[in-house]
Amino acid sequence: MGSPSPAAVRTEGLTKRFGSTLALDRLDLDIRPGEVFGFLGPNGAGKSTTVRLLLGLIRPSAGRASIFDVDASDAVQAHRHLAYVPADVALWPNLTGAEALALLGNLGRGIDHAFQAELIGRFDLQVDRRCGTYSTGNRQKVALIAAFATRAPLLVLDEPTSGLDPLMEQEFRVCLHEAASRGQTVFLSSHHLAEVEAVCDRVGILRAGQLVEVAGLDDLRRLRVTELTATFNGLVPGASELMDLPGVSVMRPISSTSLALTLTGAPGPVLSRLASADLASLQLREPSLEEIFLDYYGKEAS
Amino acid sequence: MSVVMSRQDVTLVSPQVARKALLGLDVRLVLRGAIILIALFAGLTAVVVLQYASTFGSADAARSLELIAQNPAIRTLFGVPRALDDAGGFTVWRTGTIVAVAAAAWALAMATRLTRGEEDTGRAWLTLVGPLRLRSALLLHLCVVGAVAVGLGAGLDTAMIASGAGVSGATVYATGIAVIALLFAAIGACCAQVLGERRAASGLAAGLLLLGLLARMVADRVHSLGWVSWLTPFGLLSLSEPYAGDRWLPLALLLAEALLIAGLAWIAAGRRDLGAGVITTRGERRPRIRLLRSVRGLATRRALPSLGGWSLALCAYFLLIGLLAVSLTDFLEANPRFADMAAQAGFESLATVQGYIASLMKLLPIPLGLFATLRVAAVAADEAQGRLTLVLAHPVSRIRWATTDTAVIAAACVVIALLTAAAAWLGTRSVGATLELGEAVAGAFNILPVALLSLGAAVFALGWAPRAVTPIGALPVVGGGIVWVLAETFDWPDWLGRISPFAHTASVPATSPDWAGIWIMLAAAVAFAAAGIIGFAHRDLRG
Repeated sequence: MGSPSPAAVRTEGLTKRFGSTLALDRLDLDIRPGEVFGFLGPNGAGKSTTVRLLLGLIRPSAGRASIFDVDASDAVQAHRHLAYVPADVALWPNLTGAEALALLGNLGRGIDHAFQAELIGRFDLQVDRRCGTYSTGNRQKVALIAAFATRAPLLVLDEPTSGLDPLMEQEFRVCLHEAASRGQTVFLSSHHLAEVEAVCDRVGILRAGQLVEVAGLDDLRRLRVTELTATFNGLVPGASELMDLPGVSVMRPISSTSLALTLTGAPGPVLSRLASADLASLQLREPSLEEIFLDYYGKEAS
Repeated sequence: MSVVMSRQDVTLVSPQVARKALLGLDVRLVLRGAIILIALFAGLTAVVVLQYASTFGSADAARSLELIAQNPAIRTLFGVPRALDDAGGFTVWRTGTIVAVAAAAWALAMATRLTRGEEDTGRAWLTLVGPLRLRSALLLHLCVVGAVAVGLGAGLDTAMIASGAGVSGATVYATGIAVIALLFAAIGACCAQVLGERRAASGLAAGLLLLGLLARMVADRVHSLGWVSWLTPFGLLSLSEPYAGDRWLPLALLLAEALLIAGLAWIAAGRRDLGAGVITTRGERRPRIRLLRSVRGLATRRALPSLGGWSLALCAYFLLIGLLAVSLTDFLEANPRFADMAAQAGFESLATVQGYIASLMKLLPIPLGLFATLRVAAVAADEAQGRLTLVLAHPVSRIRWATTDTAVIAAACVVIALLTAAAAWLGTRSVGATLELGEAVAGAFNILPVALLSLGAAVFALGWAPRAVTPIGALPVVGGGIVWVLAETFDWPDWLGRISPFAHTASVPATSPDWAGIWIMLAAAVAFAAAGIIGFAHRDLRG
């Protein structure tokens, strides 16, 4: 009540049903102006549904959402404060990239033309080509350039890098840091743990339509695990000995000569212990977000 | 997760399995429209056959039918009657052209959709990365459309025979319709291989259809050009003379043309890349942003290409109708008793150019209403394919978006009506018939409310049943047109005929307009559109 600056994004009991499917279940979020908020969840968790509710593109079954204290259903007022990049950018195939950018610029709150020109160069977009000939990544670049060029107070980004190559993903992160340093609020929906970890201050985790937790970046680090598979020429080291090493959470023998470990935090102690045994091969793998979520939240959510 | 498989682990999909999968996909895309098409036209044909005996049994009625059949306007539309004394012959004359044009249009639209549209949307990339080559996929698509064409023929044949028309005439007629659908499926597929975009391919194929229709009209009406009939598909159809000559040679020619063009399409399919045509367009061009400054500009820009195409087609059609007015004057000179007979039977306006233009203008709502419906369907497609998501995340209200689109489409209808009227006037003027430009414009504007009713229905569907924009939008002009023609032909009860919006338009410029009808239809169109826009603004956006 009466806080000096309104929340950039606020949802209260936001719920969406599609027929008998509960896509989003009583979501409560409060994102402060200037915050870079990561919205993390596996595919189908309800991230895009949340974003579409925030934009007023679909109506809530219950609860409400607001953008800078403007109800999300008042699209004209609410959208003056934001710019949006969808996960799957669809453009009219007959427009060229330059025409699409001009259109998106003219529909909105006005753009910084010099910055737009700079962004076109940085994202290396060929604007004279028709959108129909663009790859997924190029269409995403159009939406990203259009969104950043508005310098809107709130950027709503729904998996904006799913089609970008690593170089452009890097450029995107730079743009995001610049936006954050200018004080723009960012709502970044993603299923890339690493991306969210690299750019966000705070993270909300969504699973099966429910907000599992809202955590700071440090809390998030404990989600970062590595799965390690080691094969030995000789005997496998003792299980109890390995489990006592710092960071090892799960140990699973595969055969008489190989085993799998799940590792959290620094790998140094484990690697030095394994190296002292007769190691034949070593594989490191980062589990997908889905697997992590199943590990951490699977039982609770079901 | 990385999975490594040895060669033995990988089960290769055999071409048979891939073909079966693609066939299943095609059938799902085609089935609903095919059932509607066959049921509608088989039903219509049966009704006309059944009603013939009860309506034209008496000598008086037969004489007035002869009179209608001699009317140049009617002949321009329906072609030369071959056997009006027979229920089957009458049905072929009265419904044959409509059924042939609809079947051809459906076949070409389906062929371009399956052989090009699926690549435009990117779906074909999923189905064609398997073992199927473009060529075998093309043949498969053509077989699916061909099967529907054969089904339509079988439906018409059964409908005619079951309702009591002669067997051999029915078979010639039904075969002709099936073959013309096959031919235009092949033409559509061929255009779709040559041009890299579905809209361009459909436009070219539709242009060829129109050209064929215009050539037949000329061949029918200008005696020295009668041989042109052998060059146009619709002429060949007429030369098969169901219930008169029952000639198979023209149909064999049509079938040969269809196979030849399908062969060309097959060759062309081997000379192009997936997603491109034989003729590749340059992907790059300088930006044109004049119409991209506002929602209204964008709506205009999106409507312009189809506005151009439909205007061109309808202007060509009505220019020719105007030019053919000369044979009306010739006919009146040669048959001085016609005017008297027409007056006796209550058709005095038939003997004037104004009456001729008025009765042909009554047909204009059908293409105009279909144009409006397809434009609204394009808005629904923009939504379904996610193109509205990005633009409506801007400070643009959905009410404004839908209202602007509706207004632009309505304005486009007015423009097409004006141009069509001007073309008809130009045609009549250049052959020395006495028609004022104002009269032609009045004739076109008189029927505009019927077309706008279709626009209103389509916008209503956009708001409340966005998957059904095309059938709901087409209902007033196609359904209304059929009811009106049947009711007029067979003296159906008054109230039944008055369901049709066509019944509420007067024969302008031959008579003065039915103002009450005009205002009621306009009010209904506005009410439907407003309800649709409100529905669109308050429902969940798709895509």
